[in-house]
Amino acid sequence: MAHVIGIDIGGTFTDAFAADETGRVAGVKTPSTPPDFSQGFLAVLDELAAALETDTRSLLADTDYIVHGTTSTLNALVTGDVATVGFLTTRGHADSISIMNLEGRYAGLGADEVQDMVRTNKPAALVPPQLIREIDERVDHKGAVVVPLDEEGARRAVRELVDAGAQAIAVSLLWSFRNPAHEQRVGEIIAEEAAGLYVALSSDVSPRIREYARSATTIMNTQVGPRLRDYLQPLEAELRARGFSGSLLVMQGSGGCVDSGAAPARAITTIGSVLTGGVVGCMRLAGELGHRNVISTDMGGTTFLAGLVVDGEPVSTTSTVLNQYQLSVPMVDVHTIGAGGGAIAWLDAGHNLRVGPRSAGARPGPACYGEGGTEPTVTDVDLLLGIINPDNFLGGRKKLSRELAEEAVRTHIAEPLGMSMDDAAAAVYAIQNAQTADLVRKVVVTSGQDPRDFVLYAFGGAAPMHCASYAADLEIGEVVVPLGPTAAVFSAYGLAASDIVLTAELSSPTNFPPPPETFNAAFGQLRRELDAQLSEQGLKFASVGYRNEADIRYTMQLAEVETPVPSEELDEAGLETVGAAFGELYERLYGKGAGFSEAGLQLITYRTRAVGGLSIRPRLAEVPPAEGDPRPTSSRRVFLDPRHGWQDAAIYDYRDLAAGHELKGPAVVEAPTTTVALPEGCVGRVDHLGNLVIRYTQA
Amino acid sequence: MTVHIDDNLEQRPDGAVACRHCGTAVGVAAEPLRDALVRERDPQDAGPSVRAEPAHFTDRRVVLRLTFCRGCLTQLQAEIVPADEPSFRTRNLAVGR
Amino acid sequence: MPVIPVAGSEEFANRPVSPAETRRAVSDAVRLHDVDAAAVEAVDPLTYEVIRHRLTSITEEMGEALKRMSGSVVVTDCNDFDAAIMDEVGEVVQVGLYNTQLAASLDMAVNWTLRNRCRRPGIGPGDMFLCNDPWVGGGLHQNDVSLFAPLFVDGEIFCWTGAVAHQVDLGGVSPGSWSVAGTDVFWESTPIPPVKIVEGGEIRDDIEDVYLRRSRVPRLVALDLRAKIGANNVAHERLRALCQKYGAATVKAVMRRTMDDAEARLRAKLRELPDGSWSSVAHQDSARAGDREIYKIVLNLTKTGDRLTFDFTGTDPQVDGLINCTYTGLRGGIMPVVLTMLCGDIPWAPGGIARCLDIVSEPGTINNCTFPAGIGKASVASAWATTNVTTECLAGLLDSHPEHRQRLMSACCGTWDFALLAGVDQRGGGFVTMLCDSMAGGLGARADSDGVDTGGLAVIPMGRVADVEMNEFAFPMLYLWRREEPDSGGAGRFRGGVGASSCFIPYDSPVGGVHLVVSAPGKALPLAPGVSGGLPAGTQYDVLLRSTAIRDALAQGRIPTSLDEVGGERELVPVHLETGMGPDDVYYTHWQGGGGYGDPLLRDPAAVAADVAAHKVSRRGAEEVYGVAFDEHGHVVEAATRDRRAALRRRRAGLENEEVPA
Ligand SMILES: [Zn+2]
Repeated sequence: MAHVIGIDIGGTFTDAFAADETGRVAGVKTPSTPPDFSQGFLAVLDELAAALETDTRSLLADTDYIVHGTTSTLNALVTGDVATVGFLTTRGHADSISIMNLEGRYAGLGADEVQDMVRTNKPAALVPPQLIREIDERVDHKGAVVVPLDEEGARRAVRELVDAGAQAIAVSLLWSFRNPAHEQRVGEIIAEEAAGLYVALSSDVSPRIREYARSATTIMNTQVGPRLRDYLQPLEAELRARGFSGSLLVMQGSGGCVDSGAAPARAITTIGSVLTGGVVGCMRLAGELGHRNVISTDMGGTTFLAGLVVDGEPVSTTSTVLNQYQLSVPMVDVHTIGAGGGAIAWLDAGHNLRVGPRSAGARPGPACYGEGGTEPTVTDVDLLLGIINPDNFLGGRKKLSRELAEEAVRTHIAEPLGMSMDDAAAAVYAIQNAQTADLVRKVVVTSGQDPRDFVLYAFGGAAPMHCASYAADLEIGEVVVPLGPTAAVFSAYGLAASDIVLTAELSSPTNFPPPPETFNAAFGQLRRELDAQLSEQGLKFASVGYRNEADIRYTMQLAEVETPVPSEELDEAGLETVGAAFGELYERLYGKGAGFSEAGLQLITYRTRAVGGLSIRPRLAEVPPAEGDPRPTSSRRVFLDPRHGWQDAAIYDYRDLAAGHELKGPAVVEAPTTTVALPEGCVGRVDHLGNLVIRYTQA
Repeated sequence: MTVHIDDNLEQRPDGAVACRHCGTAVGVAAEPLRDALVRERDPQDAGPSVRAEPAHFTDRRVVLRLTFCRGCLTQLQAEIVPADEPSFRTRNLAVGR
Repeated sequence: MPVIPVAGSEEFANRPVSPAETRRAVSDAVRLHDVDAAAVEAVDPLTYEVIRHRLTSITEEMGEALKRMSGSVVVTDCNDFDAAIMDEVGEVVQVGLYNTQLAASLDMAVNWTLRNRCRRPGIGPGDMFLCNDPWVGGGLHQNDVSLFAPLFVDGEIFCWTGAVAHQVDLGGVSPGSWSVAGTDVFWESTPIPPVKIVEGGEIRDDIEDVYLRRSRVPRLVALDLRAKIGANNVAHERLRALCQKYGAATVKAVMRRTMDDAEARLRAKLRELPDGSWSSVAHQDSARAGDREIYKIVLNLTKTGDRLTFDFTGTDPQVDGLINCTYTGLRGGIMPVVLTMLCGDIPWAPGGIARCLDIVSEPGTINNCTFPAGIGKASVASAWATTNVTTECLAGLLDSHPEHRQRLMSACCGTWDFALLAGVDQRGGGFVTMLCDSMAGGLGARADSDGVDTGGLAVIPMGRVADVEMNEFAFPMLYLWRREEPDSGGAGRFRGGVGASSCFIPYDSPVGGVHLVVSAPGKALPLAPGVSGGLPAGTQYDVLLRSTAIRDALAQGRIPTSLDEVGGERELVPVHLETGMGPDDVYYTHWQGGGGYGDPLLRDPAAVAADVAAHKVSRRGAEEVYGVAFDEHGHVVEAATRDRRAALRRRRAGLENEEVPA
C-alpha cells in the first residue's frame, strides 16, 4: 500500500505523519538534532515505522513521497551560518543593499521598537565590501541595452571575488528582469572562471522590479543554496540506501513543495517552510470540513502565528522581511503576532498592566515551569485561572508549579497594583485575548477581509485555551480545535497533504490594458516555463492546475494588488474584466470610493502558479459515534470570562469523547496535546473527525 | 556630587567645570568653557566633509570654531558658523542639586 | 522689505487654547462629549490596557489605509504623512509613527475649526474638514493638507480623527508649489483655512473643485483626498464599535488617561534629569533664489523640575523668501525630537506631552512668522532648523544623565534636499514629482554608538526611499549612481551616519529634457552640528553638469563614477534654483549625514579602518580628521597613529610649535 509521509523539522521537535490510501494514519514526534538535522529525520522515520507496526525499510520501500519541511535555511540565515557570497551588480548601485531603501533600519520591528527610533539600527551588511564588485553594463526600463556588458571587466571581477574567498556568487543587475541577457552572460563567465561554483542570477531567483529586494533575495538565496544542497544530497542518498525509491520533496514558504533536486537553486523559497505547515494543514482540514474561509491561529510556548485561507487557498504574500531585509519571495502570509504562552505580563513605567511582546521564551519559560523564570507569563495565568491542570499539562509530561506562578503574579502584578491575585490573573488573561483579537483583526483586515466571514482554527499548545474568547471578540461564529489523530503533528499532516506548487513571474511594467497579444504572450511564456519545471520534477500528477494573476495598481500608486486573471487567452473585453476585477478588489482592500480610476492603471508583474496535485491524498479516519452523554472526569473552579468570574466547570478527558458529543461551557477539555477552554455561552461539539467545534449560543 | 556634563566635561559640587580626561579646569557652571582654548579656522579644515568653499554661496565669512581643553587639547566643541556671530552654544547646569 | 500687515489675517493667527476656552467658544453650538476626573480615575487596569491597545491599532490602521490608498510617491513610498486620534477638543491621544511634524499641529486645526465653524456652516455627523493653512494648523506648509473629521456619538462630538499628507503640487509660481524666487505667500499656493469638504458623508463637489483647480496634478490630489477620507472612515467605524462595546464614557476616560500617563511619565523622566539650560543655534543659508544671506534660529532650552521651556528669543526676524514657518511649524519642529529623544519609551500621546512644554517666541520671527510671509518650504526650512536646534539642546540635556544619554542623538540630516522634476514622462503624460532619495539622510551619532548610515530623517521614524528602478519606471530619468558618500557623516568618537548622493540624466522623455527646481541649503555651512566636541556633518553639494558627452560614454561602455569622469561644464548649484535640464545635462545631488559625537581623535582606530573599508570615511578623512595611520594593506599602524594623533591635537589647536603636557 502506497504511503505519503510528511516530516516537519523545527528547532525543538521533529514531527512525522504518514498516511496510506485507506485512511490509516500515524503521527510521531522526536527531538530535533541540531546541527545535523538529518539524524532526527532518520530517527523519526524509525518511530513512524514502529507506529505503523512495520520496519523502516518496508515503510520506505512502500512510500511514494516524503514531503519535508525544514527550518534549516531560515536558521542558517538567522544565525549567519551561511556560505561566503560574492556579489556582482551594476556599476553605481552596489550601495543599494546598504542603503536598504532606508527602511532596513526598522523593517520587521514591532511598533514599540520603531518608536524608540534613537535605538534602532540597520542589520549587519549582507556582503562585506571586499566581496562586492560593480561591473559596467546597463539596461533601461524598457529592457534596452544602454551600456553593453564589459565582459573582460566582469571576468576580472569574478576572479577577484573567488580570490577573496567567495564560495558562491550572486548576480543582480539593474532591470535584469526586463532583459536577463547581461546576467546570463555573467553567469556563463562565472562558470568559465570557476566551474562548479554555486551561482544565482536575480533574473532567475526573483525576476521582479525593485532592485533592493531583488538583490537581497538573490544574495540570501546564494548564502543558503550551497548549504541546502549539502544537506539534501546526503540525506537523499541515505534514504535511497534504506530502500526509498519515491520522491523527496521540500516544502516552500509558498505552501507547495518542490523536488529536492530543484530546491537548492531556489533555496530562498524554502524559508518559512515550517511556518506554513500549520496553514496548509488548516487548509486541508478545512477542505474536509467544507470551510472556505479560515483564520489559522497557532499559539505555542514561544510564538503566536496567524494565517488566512480564503476561498480554500492560503493567502500569500509576494514579499517578506528577514533580518530587517526585504525579500521578494512568494510565501504563505504567516504573521508572527505574539509571544505565545511565554508572553510576559509586566507593569510599564506608568504603572500600567501590559502583556508581551517580550517573552520568557523556551528558557527560562513561564514561572510555573520551575526552570528559573520569575516573571509571570500567560501560561502561568492559564494555570492560576484553573484552565491548565498542573498535573496533566501536555498529557502529564510536564509538572507545573502553582506556587511559583502565584509568586510571580503576586509580586509583579497583584501587589504593585493593589489587586487580588484572582483579579490580576483574570486581567492578564483578558488583555492577552483582546490584544490577540486586535492583532488577528489587523491580519484579516489588511488582506481586505472581514473577520466575521471566517471560521477560526486554533491549534498549538496554547491557542485552544484562549480561542473562544478572542474569536468572540472578533465576532466569529465558529471555532475549530483540531483534535483528531493529526493534532500532535498538525504541520506534518499539512506537509503530507500538500501539492507541488511552482511560481513563475515576470515584471514588465506597462500601462493597463496592454495589447491583448502582449498580455497573452506574457502568460504564455510563464506557462511554458512552468510546464518545463513541472516535468523536471519527475512526478506523476493527479491533476495540474494553473492560476494566473497580475499585479496591477492605479497609475500613481505604488501599492499593487494581486488581481486574478482567467487562465484562457483574453481579448480586449477580457482585459476590461480584469481591470474591473482589480477595481473591486481595490475597493474591498481600501474602502469604497478609495479607487480613482481616472488616473489609469498600470500592470507591474505577471505571475502564474502551477499546482500539481500528488496522487496520494491522506484521508482522515472517522471517529466512532457517541453513545450517550459525555461524562466529565471531574469539576474545578475556573475563570474564563470576566463577566462571569469564577465558576464551577466540568472537566472532560478528550479520550472519553466521541463524535456527536456536545459540551456546554463553562467547561474544560483536557487533550494529550492541549487544553480547550469553553466559557459560558459556548457549546463544543465533537465532529466526525474528532475535532472540537465551538459555537456561541450567546455573545 | 560631581556630574557629567557630556563626554568630555564634568561639573564639581562647587560649580567648577573640568576636563574628564585630564582634570584641567575649563570653566564654571554659568560658563563651562570660559577658560578653554578657542581657535577659528577655515571651514574646509574640518576635513573633506565640507565639500565647497562657503564663498560660493554667501558673502559672509564662515569659520570653523573649535574649543579645546587647555590641558590635553581634547576637542570640547566644534561649530561652523558665520564669523561675525558669537557662539550661541552654551549650557548651564544647576549647581549642587 | 518690511512686513506689510494684512488686515483680516489675524483671525487665522492661531495659538493652542485650553479645552476650557474651546468649550466656552463653542458654547451650545455643538455638544461636546466629556467625562469627569472620577471616571478617568475609575478605569480598571484591564479595561485601560484593552482599549489603549485598540486605539493604537486603530491609528495604525488609519496610517495603513492612507498609505495604501494614496497616489503620491511621497506618501506611499516615503511615508511623508501621518494620522492621529484626538479627543473632542482636538488634544492628540495617539499619533502614528510616520511624519510626526505633521500631526504635531492637528490639534490646533481642530480647535480653530470648533471655535470658528461650529455655527456657520456648523459641524455635523459625517462632516470632514480640509485645511492647508499653516497659520491655522494641521500642517507646516501649504503642501501639507489635513483632513479631520468629528465622530459623533449620541449627538455629541465624541472625538476627532485626522490624516495629513504632503501633496505634490497645489499651485503657486513654481511646480511643486515651492516658488524658489518667491518673496511672500502670494507667490505660493494660497492657504485654505478649514472648509467642510465632506458633508454628511458626501464629498462637496463645489468645494473639491476649488481645492483641485489650483493644482498642476489635480487627479493625484483628488486621489489623495479620497485616501484621507478612507483613513478617517476606517477609524470612525472602529471607534464607533469600541464605544458600543465599552461605552463612550469609558473609551473617553481611557483617552484622557493615555494623555495623563504620557504626561506623568515625561514629567517623571524630566525630574530625573538635572536642572539647567542649554543654548544653541541653527542656521539656514539663503531664503530665496539669489539670496546669499545666512539666517539663524536661537534656542535657549531650560529644564526646571518637570518642565521644559523653549525660548527662541534672539531668532532672526521673518524674511522675504519661502523659508519662514508659522507657529505651527515651530511646534512641528519641536515635537518630533521630543517624541524620539524623550519619549522613545513613553506613549506618543502629544496631547499629554505638550503639557510639559512651554514655548517662548516672538511673532514676526523666522520660525513664528506673520501673514503674508512666504512659507512654501516651511516644513523643511525653519521648522527643520527648529528641529536641529532642539535636537542639539535636548542632546545636551540628556548627555548629563548616565542612563538617559542612551537616547540622545546629534542632529540628523541637516536639511531636506529638495529636487523637483517636472515635464513629460516616457509615456507622454505630464508629471511633477519630488525626488525623495534624500529621505535617506544620515542619522546623528549617539553617545555610545555611530549614527545610522542612510538611516533617515529626525522627523520621520519610518521614512523610505523608492528603488532606482521604480523611479526610472515612473519618471523620465536614468541613474548613473545612487550611493553612500564617504565623510558626509560628522566625525566624532562616534561618527554621524553618512548621507548619500544620486546622479542622473533626463532619459526617454519625448521632449528631451526635464524641468528642475532645487531648494537645498547647507551649502555655505553644514546644518547638522555635532555634540560633545563632535564635528558637524558634511555640507549639501549639488552640481549640474551641462553639455556633457554622457550618452557617448555610455554607448562606449563606460559608466562614470565621478563628476570628473562625467565631464561637461560644471555649475555649482546654489541653494535655490529653477532651471531646465537638457538631454546632455547631468544632475548630481548629495545630501547630508548626521552630526558626530565626541572628539574624533578619541575614535577607536579599528572602527576608522572599518569605515574606510566600507567607504564611509575616505582615506584622507581617516588620516586628517581621525589621525589614523595605515600600512599599505589598509591596516592600522598603532604607533604611527599615536604619533599622528598627538601631532594633530597640537596642530588643530594652533599649537604646532608649542610643548604640550601629555
Ligand atoms: Zn583635558
